[in-house]
Amino acid sequence: MNAIDGTDRHVRDSDNSPPPSLLTVILDTNPHAWALLSDTLPLSKAVANLLVFINAHLSFNHANQVAVIASHIQRAQWLYPTPHPPRSSSSPEENGTSTPTPPSATKYHRFAIIERELQDNLSRVISQTTAADLTSSTTTQIAGALSIALSHISRATQLSSPNDSSGISLDSTGPTLSNPTDTPTDPADGTPRARRSPLTSRILIVSVSGDLAAQYIPVMNSIFAAQRQRVPLDVLKLAGDTVFLQQAADATGGVYIAPSSPSARAGLLQYLMMGFLPDARARAALVMPGGGEVDFRAACFCHRRVVDVGFVCSVCLSIFCEPLEEGECLTCGTRLSLGAAVAAKPVVVPRPKKKKKRKVGDITGTSTPMSAGTPGP
Amino acid sequence: MDGEYIQDVSDDDGVEVASRSGNNGAAGGAYGARARGRTRAKERWESGIQADSIAFGEGPDGNLAESLEAEEQARKRARLRQDNKPVQRGIIRHVVLILDLSEAMLEKDMRPNRYIVTINHAQAYVREFFEQNPISQMCVMAMHDGLCIRLSDLSGNPADHIAAIQGIRYPKSARQAAREPKGSPSLQNALEMARAALYHAPSHSTREVIIVLGALLSNDPGDIHKTIKSCVNDRLRVAIIGMGARLRICQEICAKTNAGDDSVYGVCQDEKNLRELLMATTTPPVIRQTAPALPSSEPTPNAASLLMMGFPSRVTESTPSLCACHNNLTRGGYMCSRCQVKVCSLPRACPSCGMTLILSTHLARSYHHLFPLQSWVEVSWKRARELGSTECQACMTHFPPVPEPQEPDAMQEGTDKSTGTDTANGAPKPVKQRPRAEGASESSRYECRSCHCHFCIDCDVYCHTVLHNCPGCLSNPNTAPTDAETNPEVVAEMAAGLENGVNGGEPMDME
Repeated sequence: MNAIDGTDRHVRDSDNSPPPSLLTVILDTNPHAWALLSDTLPLSKAVANLLVFINAHLSFNHANQVAVIASHIQRAQWLYPTPHPPRSSSSPEENGTSTPTPPSATKYHRFAIIERELQDNLSRVISQTTAADLTSSTTTQIAGALSIALSHISRATQLSSPNDSSGISLDSTGPTLSNPTDTPTDPADGTPRARRSPLTSRILIVSVSGDLAAQYIPVMNSIFAAQRQRVPLDVLKLAGDTVFLQQAADATGGVYIAPSSPSARAGLLQYLMMGFLPDARARAALVMPGGGEVDFRAACFCHRRVVDVGFVCSVCLSIFCEPLEEGECLTCGTRLSLGAAVAAKPVVVPRPKKKKKRKVGDITGTSTPMSAGTPGP
Repeated sequence: MDGEYIQDVSDDDGVEVASRSGNNGAAGGAYGARARGRTRAKERWESGIQADSIAFGEGPDGNLAESLEAEEQARKRARLRQDNKPVQRGIIRHVVLILDLSEAMLEKDMRPNRYIVTINHAQAYVREFFEQNPISQMCVMAMHDGLCIRLSDLSGNPADHIAAIQGIRYPKSARQAAREPKGSPSLQNALEMARAALYHAPSHSTREVIIVLGALLSNDPGDIHKTIKSCVNDRLRVAIIGMGARLRICQEICAKTNAGDDSVYGVCQDEKNLRELLMATTTPPVIRQTAPALPSSEPTPNAASLLMMGFPSRVTESTPSLCACHNNLTRGGYMCSRCQVKVCSLPRACPSCGMTLILSTHLARSYHHLFPLQSWVEVSWKRARELGSTECQACMTHFPPVPEPQEPDAMQEGTDKSTGTDTANGAPKPVKQRPRAEGASESSRYECRSCHCHFCIDCDVYCHTVLHNCPGCLSNPNTAPTDAETNPEVVAEMAAGLENGVNGGEPMDME
């Protein structure tokens, strides 16, 4: 999709160039949160800084790619590349038809494209936000944005991987599912990817809003998917407070930085450049910021207490802070026997008669009991 | 389908010899029933390594590429077209994986042979199993020369099992020889070993046995039917993945231990199929209602219980200290919430006090089994035209363009079953009835039934197997309204700020 300027051509003959890297930025555009930040860091300034950061990323390598997604209230939307909305009449248009301004002579063409598309789309997102949207919700759709980003990364990885057609295959021991139908031609521009070195991807979440509790399961699912694809989730937490994103960064090996003071926020570009610019390969050689203590304790479902030792329903895996009074799970309503949790521990009475040494270690051979020798539970 | 199988195989059943000819005959039957659409010019093992890429049929209209693509899509979706209804599943599992190391594994119908292929896949399987079931336990055994050997003990650490499986071919100590396939397998011994290993599994967990069986025989020391009965009594659930042909006894074992449902017995046709069958067992099994006939005196099987678990915090230490699990010097780890013993990795049982130590994220990892993502449906051309989708909602891959509408649509009701639209009532005459591979969409689009977004096949597979989220549902305004304050000024302010700030700031000029 970024081959629009034909820069891909030069990459093919240089084999020792670093592999391309895909940076996906998820920009939290929650109006409520940005309104609170407007004195120290208005959204416009943040976007300007982000564009500089994106340009820096693109300057590293011709083949580097970028994608930007807005995680707005109630919806997640592509900012770059521009999506094509569904049309009833199938009349294919070109990619950036909106207003073909003449390219600036002083600006690298690709930077200009990204800048224009991102700004157009962002203002469209904002103008489409109605008052009703704002009243209905205050949280941001980070789960949707993450899902889109991960799907996109999965697809991009698949297109760029040398022989494995299924980007989600877990390891190399699996059968290579390559077959002739999957010649990966990029559907966006139709050019076959001649030289396909593995793509390293990462996701940067610029987050300003807290309270993602409503999306706990989708966010967690996204984190596990990212972990499986080895996609680091970098988090720049400008405001708000969420444990999830910290856990996300920790679980996927990403960087978590939370500049909390207003003066620190003013240096957004520096945080971006210093903390998040190196890609996964470069990070191996660098000392990355972060690495603080991560709180892994769980919150119980009954009182929202943070607990060290909890009681877990074996059916629905809900966490409770104390043994339930009625013995009935509050979430799924199953009758739970407390035996294993509370009573079992003291009842380890060694019974010498039962301690018949069963030879399980090595070979049982034909001397296995024929009849039902083992009593049922 | 099953009727055919039984008939075919029952002839061979008495001949308990894994001879080449018997193998072929039975395999032919299985193939014929399984891959009924395909023309079978050659047996799979007679063709080259890339056999799978030529196992396609030419479409009736001669369009090879399209039929290939449909085959591919159908294959990718095969695993998806199941679980979309939330059912209670046994999340906490105790599984015994039993590999066949008998002579039959030296067969070369998989390259280089069954033995090596199985060992490779078993390692991938262990990894995947613990991805999907982080709070479960596993144990690996092998059927070798009439015996059943325990390779690794019941534990929740995938590294142990992978090392044990690798140790089959490359033993760690020089004294041991590599365990080459030898002799015949014994299902009875295997089941008895598994039963003994799972005897202590608590009542809220499942007890499962997964057998990869290459041979077409079982050389048992006694009456296997008695063993099956005691397995049923002990609530064991046995799944068998056979090779080459179906065996009556395997079918019986699976049916009896799974409350009459023998769908867990599968015979793999090739390497890919073996992997698929194995991976299918990583999904936790459904919990069936307990039979009312059980004696009420003892606690009900599958009794749900409240488990005490510790959620330890991670510590980093300036000086290394010994961990309780491996006796290694480490500089950090997790402290048991009850006894303050240090362990290296989670989840595991505390070596000192025995409490299960996990992270809350491990619990969250199992949630997708409980709240599965509903299946997406195939999209007919008509429906695609209606919505006018041009690209995948998630990854922005372009869809093939919608063809111009022909007189009555040349689509068949088969692929159109559940898009929610009314097909043309007036009995559309099939202009060009092209038999599609089942499960593949003619328009290469797949629609989520709740958000009506269209996705490509890759996102379909990815979202259902890895992500377990629907990007469309999560990114559309459909959430329930919550309380908040109205301030439309915020938006206006943002919009204004954006116009001025970004354009005025000129952040672009890097030169």
